[in-house]
Amino acid sequence: MSLNVQNLYKQFGTKQILNGVDFEVKPHDIHAIVGVSGSGKSTILRIIAGLESTDSGDVKWNHRSLIPIPAHKRRVTMLSQTALLFPHLTVGENVTLVTRERSRKQAEHWLRVVQLGDRYDAEIHELSGGEQQRVSLARALAAEPELLLLDEPFTNLDPKLKLDLQRFIRDLVKELNLTAVLVTHDREEAMLMADQVTLIDEGKVTRTGTVAELYDTAPGFGDFVMLDGELRPLSEVEVSEATGVSVQLMKKIYRFGQCFGEYQFKDGRSVMLPTCETYQTGMIYRIKRKEE
Amino acid sequence: MIRQGLLICLTFIPFISLFFVVPSFEIENNMAIVHTIGLIVILSGINVWLSMMCAWWLLWTDSRWKHVIEWLVFLPLFIPMLATLFGLYLILAEAGLIGTYVGVTLALLVVTIPYSIRLAYNGMAVIGRPLLEQARILPSRRRVMYVLYPLFSRLMRTIALFTTVILLSQFALIQLIGAGLIPTVTTELYQSYAGNNRGLALSNTWMLILFPVLLYFLLSGWDRYMVRMLKGRLQ
Amino acid sequence: MLRSSVAVTIMVSLLPLTALVFLAIESMGMDWGSLLTNETWRDSFVTTIYVVSVSTGLSLVIGTWLARTVVQKGWRFLSSVLRLPMFVPHIAAAYLFWLLFTGMNGIGWIEANERNYVTVILTYIWKETPFVFLMMLGTYEQLNRGYVEMAKTLQLSPFDQFKHGELPFLMKPLLDSAWILIAFISFAYEIPALLGVTYPKLIGVLAYERLSTGLYLEATEPYAVALVWTCLVGIGVFLSYVLTASIRRRIERGVRR
Repeated sequence: MSLNVQNLYKQFGTKQILNGVDFEVKPHDIHAIVGVSGSGKSTILRIIAGLESTDSGDVKWNHRSLIPIPAHKRRVTMLSQTALLFPHLTVGENVTLVTRERSRKQAEHWLRVVQLGDRYDAEIHELSGGEQQRVSLARALAAEPELLLLDEPFTNLDPKLKLDLQRFIRDLVKELNLTAVLVTHDREEAMLMADQVTLIDEGKVTRTGTVAELYDTAPGFGDFVMLDGELRPLSEVEVSEATGVSVQLMKKIYRFGQCFGEYQFKDGRSVMLPTCETYQTGMIYRIKRKEE
Repeated sequence: MIRQGLLICLTFIPFISLFFVVPSFEIENNMAIVHTIGLIVILSGINVWLSMMCAWWLLWTDSRWKHVIEWLVFLPLFIPMLATLFGLYLILAEAGLIGTYVGVTLALLVVTIPYSIRLAYNGMAVIGRPLLEQARILPSRRRVMYVLYPLFSRLMRTIALFTTVILLSQFALIQLIGAGLIPTVTTELYQSYAGNNRGLALSNTWMLILFPVLLYFLLSGWDRYMVRMLKGRLQ
Repeated sequence: MLRSSVAVTIMVSLLPLTALVFLAIESMGMDWGSLLTNETWRDSFVTTIYVVSVSTGLSLVIGTWLARTVVQKGWRFLSSVLRLPMFVPHIAAAYLFWLLFTGMNGIGWIEANERNYVTVILTYIWKETPFVFLMMLGTYEQLNRGYVEMAKTLQLSPFDQFKHGELPFLMKPLLDSAWILIAFISFAYEIPALLGVTYPKLIGVLAYERLSTGLYLEATEPYAVALVWTCLVGIGVFLSYVLTASIRRRIERGVRR
């Protein structure tokens, strides 16, 4: 089931926030909308969720317009910057509340999915920020959504927790075969989580493409290395000289006045490095995750 | 728009009554007006002073008695006013203050002060400690004149207005504690109503409504003048 | 100066509590059995409960609804207009309502003074709704709308959206407003004296008249009634705050502003 955002226009007072936004989210993809503050990205998400009206344009889910459907009937759930767990309820009650049959059993299942199976009776203030976001995710999933919206849900977390939760949510969304739209200002986050990326600036789409396509051409997307088929931010890897491996330079990419090279190991694995030198056999940078 | 209009109409409907009968414009008892104005001035002043001081203290104090005192000053809000009045009648009778201006003022202070403290406390909480903390670095005279007065002037005006409205609402209190010897516009209204003199009752009603309105405009004008003057000094 | 002002305020605030002690001493000789069986008091009590419940309940509902609507729709002008009745003294409001409903000038569909206390209730609603409105306006302005929006996206029904996204945060100001109104309306004189009927009188009117007219030599009775009524309100306040303490604490700790 795909999501089609068609020609969205939205004005707040005299300020035009959205200027004809168009993009398509493919079924079971994580689609990131990337832009700076005030670019209109969150407004798009709020329109999809039904929390904001649109001046013109349409949002179609599986070829059916969502616009006339009220937010609480859209089967679209959202994870926002703060977990916003209802403070008068316990962790478990927050999840039970949204399950279809108000069932504790189902809530416990979703809490186990987010690895918090033992915190059903805990109170909200007893959880850390990351745990609260996980409960919020369990709650969003317990509502059995067809589409999951992620509105910068990692903003208030510390870097380590952020990376763990990004991977956790991405893996879970893939495992459950959900379609998700992620809004972020952070390109690194988009690279790590998304299949497709839409870049937005001043209410207009400037680029749409796969992560690989944007890696080649969009500014700011080169600060990553590909390690074992997975994107890693440069800050997270250690590059050191090593021997015994031979690699071949496959492709050169120029970004910010620097050359990035895509190298291939003999066994077919590839790696992208912030260099384009042709290495002699037996000498190669070994890239590994930084020690914790 | 229609809903707004309807709500405005509903709010204004009772005021139509002001034009049903021609007010008599006769002033039967000058002392009633003098007493009323006197009580408004004295009680508004005392209420503003005590409530602002108390709320300020509650905002900053680290005293372990803070919660007890907080509880103590807000508790009278939950005691029915007439019950307080009956008890006060007994206390003031012991002190020989029944039928005196002092007794009436004290009783009115007792019933108005909890509301004033509540207003002051909420108002200061809305402005917030961080902003007020900034003001604490200034010397006390400048702090009060240039920061606290402009910040709190609206709050003080509201406290004065509420005090005025509450005291103008009191018939039973003034009649019982004043033993009928301290006439005010409120007691006059009740008596003219009881005597079925509609014209007089209506002119008293007009006065009861206009006192707070006048006070509002007077205090607003004063605030504007003060703030402009203080700004001028900073140029 | 600050400390002495606080000390004076504390002394003034202690007077209502001292007043209760004096009431208790004065009520000592009271024949409580006769008070309970006295039909006049009993009828007054029932009528008072009715007037207080309807006036307080409706003022709370209307005031909260108005605050919610004004904040959501951004109706600034209406917000200022709605405060106006608060600045009309109670006795003047009562007289305006009396004129509105009485005789040839009045609307005519209800009598100004009638047994069901409709005009008294209407006056209280007109006077007290702005108070509730102001109390709730502050709360709604500070309320994190994210909770309601979250409830919407979690596919909760409109009732559940209100129940979980708004009501928990309104609990404290609603409780405060409710008890202030109950204490104020339940034992008052001015409005029910002007708009009430000879029988049954509201408890405040009956007590005041028995104390002040001098027809009743036994003044113990109104003092005892005032004391009992204050105790009933006090118990209500105490119970409601104690019973909701844990949930209010939980909300206070877990809320994200």
